[in-house]
Amino acid sequence: MLTRRTLVGAGLAFAASACAGGFGACGSTAQRKPDARPIDALLIDETIETPPQMAAFIESAARTLPVVGLQLDAAAYAKLIGVLGKSRAIVGISSGATLFCLERMAWDHGFRLTQRTDHCAGDACLEDVAAILSGARALAASPLILVRTYRPSRADGMLHAWVMQKSASLPIRQGRREV
Amino acid sequence: MKLPPNVSEADFTAALKEFAAVVGGQWLFTTDDDLYLYRDSYSPMWDEADERTASAAVAPDNADEVVALVKIANRYRIPIYPISTGKNLGYGGAAPACAGSVVLDLKRMNRIVEIDERHGYVVVEPGVSYFDLYNHIQEKGLKLWIDCPSPGWGSVMGNALDGGVGVTLAPYRNHFEAQCGIEVVLPDGRMMRTGMGALPGAKTWQQFRPGFGPRIDGLFKQSNFGVVTKMGFWLMPPPENFTTGVVTIPRFHDLIPLIDIIGRLEQSKIVQGLWMLSSPTTGTRGDAAHGGGAPKIDPAILPVLTDPDGVNMDRLDAAAQAAGLPFWACEFNLYGPKKLIEAQWECICDAVGVIKGARFKLNEIRKLPLPADELKSLFDVGQFGIPSLRTFGLGPMVSYEGEDVVGHIFFSPVIPRTGEAAIEAMEVFAAIARKHKLPYPPLQFPSSIFERAFLFAVGLPVTRSAVVNAKIRDVFRELVVIATARGWGEYRTAPAFYDLIMETYSYNDHALRDFLGTIKEAVDPNGIMSVGRYGIWPRHLRDAGKNGR
Ligand SMILES: Cc1cc2nc3c(=O)[nH]c(=O)nc-3n(C[C@H](O)[C@H](O)[C@H](O)COP(=O)(O)OP(=O)(O)OC[C@H]3O[C@@H](n4cnc5c(N)ncnc54)[C@H](O)[C@@H]3O)c2cc1C
Repeated sequence: MLTRRTLVGAGLAFAASACAGGFGACGSTAQRKPDARPIDALLIDETIETPPQMAAFIESAARTLPVVGLQLDAAAYAKLIGVLGKSRAIVGISSGATLFCLERMAWDHGFRLTQRTDHCAGDACLEDVAAILSGARALAASPLILVRTYRPSRADGMLHAWVMQKSASLPIRQGRREV
Repeated sequence: MKLPPNVSEADFTAALKEFAAVVGGQWLFTTDDDLYLYRDSYSPMWDEADERTASAAVAPDNADEVVALVKIANRYRIPIYPISTGKNLGYGGAAPACAGSVVLDLKRMNRIVEIDERHGYVVVEPGVSYFDLYNHIQEKGLKLWIDCPSPGWGSVMGNALDGGVGVTLAPYRNHFEAQCGIEVVLPDGRMMRTGMGALPGAKTWQQFRPGFGPRIDGLFKQSNFGVVTKMGFWLMPPPENFTTGVVTIPRFHDLIPLIDIIGRLEQSKIVQGLWMLSSPTTGTRGDAAHGGGAPKIDPAILPVLTDPDGVNMDRLDAAAQAAGLPFWACEFNLYGPKKLIEAQWECICDAVGVIKGARFKLNEIRKLPLPADELKSLFDVGQFGIPSLRTFGLGPMVSYEGEDVVGHIFFSPVIPRTGEAAIEAMEVFAAIARKHKLPYPPLQFPSSIFERAFLFAVGLPVTRSAVVNAKIRDVFRELVVIATARGWGEYRTAPAFYDLIMETYSYNDHALRDFLGTIKEAVDPNGIMSVGRYGIWPRHLRDAGKNGR
């Protein structure tokens, strides 16, 4: 049986091969509306239980853009920083606890949370993400106050589908520097 | 436009223009959207008139720019508030202590200035996070370990300057105690180095802490006497092995001899790793917190633990005896060569063995580093010197008084390292929690993080409701009164309580606060630096401090 982790892992491996051409090459899906702003990566919280449809979804998403498994540790941090450095818009599914951390790390790289939906069920999140990836749902132009009020929790069982986009402000954290 | 206190709009505008000329306009932040990032997400005064929000933020790239900014701030008397990574959640976040201050955001200054494997130290700029330092050491394959707090995104420097702590070996856990050498821009814009760093070309800045003359490094911890631009820290060689050893003792009051014995072992430097108390009566330590579901509690014990009048320790003791459960478990983290771990464990067994019914279990001694897959499955990896954000994995408690909980503030008293004090604190704080229906475990234990005293940190829920937050502030004040009456002072606090806590350190009619005030007058006559931080105010703003008490 596939566990969620192997599943996300499989998605990632798939993404790596599908996107060997680099980030730019993976920026749009086949079904995308032509005028929709491309999403550069899909981030999936590895700490949540996700429904079986996730496997198929990740696999199909991974054909066109990088899929990144989110863990709250040092290795994932390095990976995340790489993704933020190369992206302008990212979409994801996570618990409030992971979103809280991710949002703050993304701030330092010039990103703002611009859309968020809250669901108890993972498949509803998938629908939201699919709509965003296909361009059926337009990206918000700027951060909305409303998107900020969520519980920074995993214990509440809530899942969030969200979008973060690069803002006009420069990333305040550049790469690590040595003298 | 939000203005700093006692500053005219014309002066503020002119100062901002000069700030921008130093750092470049793109590194001056004045829009609501940008300033939102400098609000304290865990503020217990969110959206209230007293919330401490910034009027602007400015992000220099290097120490010379800091000098220039400080000089401008002095000229226009603009209060500035330096932060390193600004992740001080639970103790103020990125927000200033005095509303209207300009945050001096030092995240861009993220250079690892020097790292020395041979002598085991690193010199960092403020923006270097634990993640940065750890990843740097890994990439370079250096034989060094760091000690980090639970959240790995914080700054090595910022955490130390706020009195932060980690979880590995005793000499490294108290981060300010593990520092060696500070470079600081004083409030008049003059750069100074402490310790051996005052000797031009010194070869031992990070090796000899005392320096020459008075040791003044401590003046920069939890204070407002300068912007620290470089700081040295001692790092440890990676331990060869790790294991845990668990001691159980049968009776509630056995805690008293246990703590005394461990204290002697620590004072002799035999026990150096962190040790954690728990009670098998409440199930396996940390189960619920580690995401593994609720702990399994013996059915005979459950009614005692869930008694609405609180846990009666005599009844719990009797129930534990009847169920054949030891009352206390103490888990020791042991590091080093195998033969050292075994010798330490033998010493622990010999010493604790005098307690009747004590049982001992040494777990398998594991070679470090542990395999990545194994590390992945652990709730926390801080004990291996690895930073993470796993502490946020579950998030704070979900709701309090019908409101969503968005974070917490820490009430953090230091209590004597004795079983008697531990028992007293457990009972006193549990009673307050019951009175206010706070989400609180049936038994909470003191932490051995400091070397000679216990820390008894209580997380209080923060919501977005002004009414509930006002109640929590009242609970906080009540806790302070109760702790102070017992001689227990806080080691650290959130800005909302700086003045309240400083007020409690009142020996000889506030001699300490007055002395700090005298230093403040001398080094920062215009009162621009981190105004109000830890209850130290410049003369012209002291009334603001009084209001906070
Ligand atoms: C769930 C959770 C767990 C936590 N666990 C721990 C823990 O295990 N240990 C621990 O210590 N803390 C802990 N904290 C508290 C806090 O998050 C950390 O201490 C964090 O490292 C502090 O933030 P920072 O490192 O970004 O420091 P900053 O926010 O950058 O700095 C803290 C303060 O120091 C001063 N300062 C910073 N830099 C400078 C400078 N260059 N010059 C002058 N003054 C400066 C400022 O007043 C600033 O507000 C925890 C918090 C949470 C929410």
